Amino acid sequence: MKIESDSVEGEVPPSRWRVRGRRQVDLCIVSFCILGAVLAGLTVLALANITITELGDPLHLIEVAASSGVLGSILLTFSAGANAVLLLIIFGTPLAYVLARAPPSRFKGVVESIVDLPLILPHTVAGLLVYLLFMRRGWLGAPLAEIGLAFEDAYPGTVVAMLFVASPFFVNTMREGFEKVPLHLENVARTLGAGTFTTFRTVTLPLSLRHLFNGAILAWGRAIGEFAAVVMIAYYPFIISTLIYYSFTTSGIRTSRSIAFVVIVVSLGVFYLLRRLTGYLGRYDDRV
Amino acid sequence: MIAFDRVSLRLGSFSLKEISLSINRGDYYFIIGPSGAGKTVLLEAIAGLHRPDSGRILLRGQEITDLPPERRGIGLVYQDYSLFPNMTVIDNVSYGLRARGLHRHEARERVAGLLERFGVEHLAYRYPGTLSGGEQQRVALARAIAVKPDILLLDEPLSALDPVTQERFIADLRRLHQDEGLTIVHVSHSRREAHMLATRMAVIIDGRLVDEGEADVVLSAPGSREVAAFIGVENILDGVVMANDGGHATVDAGGLRFEALTDAAVGEEVCLCIRADDLIVAPGDDRLPNTPNKMSGTIIQIIENGPVTDVLVDAGMELTAVMTRRSVRDLGLSPGVRVNISVREDAIHVIRSALSARE
Repeated sequence: MKIESDSVEGEVPPSRWRVRGRRQVDLCIVSFCILGAVLAGLTVLALANITITELGDPLHLIEVAASSGVLGSILLTFSAGANAVLLLIIFGTPLAYVLARAPPSRFKGVVESIVDLPLILPHTVAGLLVYLLFMRRGWLGAPLAEIGLAFEDAYPGTVVAMLFVASPFFVNTMREGFEKVPLHLENVARTLGAGTFTTFRTVTLPLSLRHLFNGAILAWGRAIGEFAAVVMIAYYPFIISTLIYYSFTTSGIRTSRSIAFVVIVVSLGVFYLLRRLTGYLGRYDDRV
Repeated sequence: MIAFDRVSLRLGSFSLKEISLSINRGDYYFIIGPSGAGKTVLLEAIAGLHRPDSGRILLRGQEITDLPPERRGIGLVYQDYSLFPNMTVIDNVSYGLRARGLHRHEARERVAGLLERFGVEHLAYRYPGTLSGGEQQRVALARAIAVKPDILLLDEPLSALDPVTQERFIADLRRLHQDEGLTIVHVSHSRREAHMLATRMAVIIDGRLVDEGEADVVLSAPGSREVAAFIGVENILDGVVMANDGGHATVDAGGLRFEALTDAAVGEEVCLCIRADDLIVAPGDDRLPNTPNKMSGTIIQIIENGPVTDVLVDAGMELTAVMTRRSVRDLGLSPGVRVNISVREDAIHVIRSALSARE
């Protein structure tokens, strides 16, 4: 391919992509764009499909969106996801820190595999594991039921199922964040008189806030999208996935499609808002 | 003040091997060695960041091997400065005081004078990411001494600075050491820095301490061949003692005969260390001092080396002399010119191969 260029020898053209004001075609990048567009196009096509259909029947959409069942289910799903994330922050952050700082060993490898296990398990299997542990006769379910904390067909059951499937997303993201904090910073803090926890609280954690937030968003997204694991232990109360499935099997495609559209709009809005609110989190250069 | 007693430490595939050294109050103690020799690990072991596998660490006679870093009172400045990026300059410098329980305002007030002293008061509310290397370095130093440490550890503090900033920082370090009597341990691979600052020094190679002592002694009379090579002795010649008359020995080194001062016995293998600036090169005999060590050779190369010139001479073996540019020009020296070379016998440092360092 002939490349037109008026640059003199030794002078770099202003841009790899543009010579003499014209776009230079890079076949490799163009091929990559086409392949990538297939993937992105699927999502766009699916969204366009549901949007056009739903906007064609606005009255039905408003009726579904305003129904207390749908709104309650969305609230329940989002709050159960938030509860799961809160628990992940409390229990997952220390685990992520230990994994980030521990030297490589066989034991560490085993723990890492345990953390990753929910990623590779079929969701029904994950749900069954949670159910067996937290059912009324389960190892944890039985003693907790005695103090009044029931999991079967109850809100705590939804939270614990979400927690289980979302945990690798939070722990792995957080671990990456901790790994990126140079050990030298912690060493210096220690020599200045800060103990291990003070160092973690004042140096390591603030520098990992962006990862904490990203991990929480990922885990929350994963949690609110869960169906199979949740339905195994808590068919009721309906989270949004269960409601859509229920509606699909009992009322047909029309209502379930409208519920799905409402969920898409609300989820996109919430994620966009969170990203905007925390866009400057963890940036410490006052020039930017 | 602080002593290592046969300290061994393994970190992955690297290990420090039976390190014994002592750093006295008021020392400007240099630890030098090639990259990967274990200098930083040794520094971190002094700070308490690595626990030795064996051996003891003593501070003022008390064993502190298991004492955590926050209770040692030892300051540390890394090569990359390691300023906390989430804190302003003033919060970085006052971090140690706050870690000791001082309120934020009180800690900030206490370090205000320190910021002024290091010329960074105008940067107090800036974040480290916006500072130049030299500014970061001064902030890191101010932060380390804000808590009044007994010992200040510096890990290659000059390596990332431009020459002008280096000179300024060296002046800061001299002032800290001489005016305030601070004990400083400085890790570097730079012999030049050791020449400029060190009072005592240790040489670490491959996790082993191969030489330790007064800086002048280590630099002018290295204890082993590998130390001599590392500290930059330009001419290191292997030889055998042919005769010894009460300490005045004759050494054969690759066919060249040298008179040198040593107690080495006849037949003993030795290593001769001759600094390039101790070799005198001249076109004729008349310019050479009266010394038994005279030889002739041909200049094979002249290398401009900053303000001086290295003159490489083939005298049966390659010898390197250093001269001023003016001398080279005035004497008409150039490749191919026949020259005579001399060196005083007391300028030759003899390392006895059979003995370990400083025995």
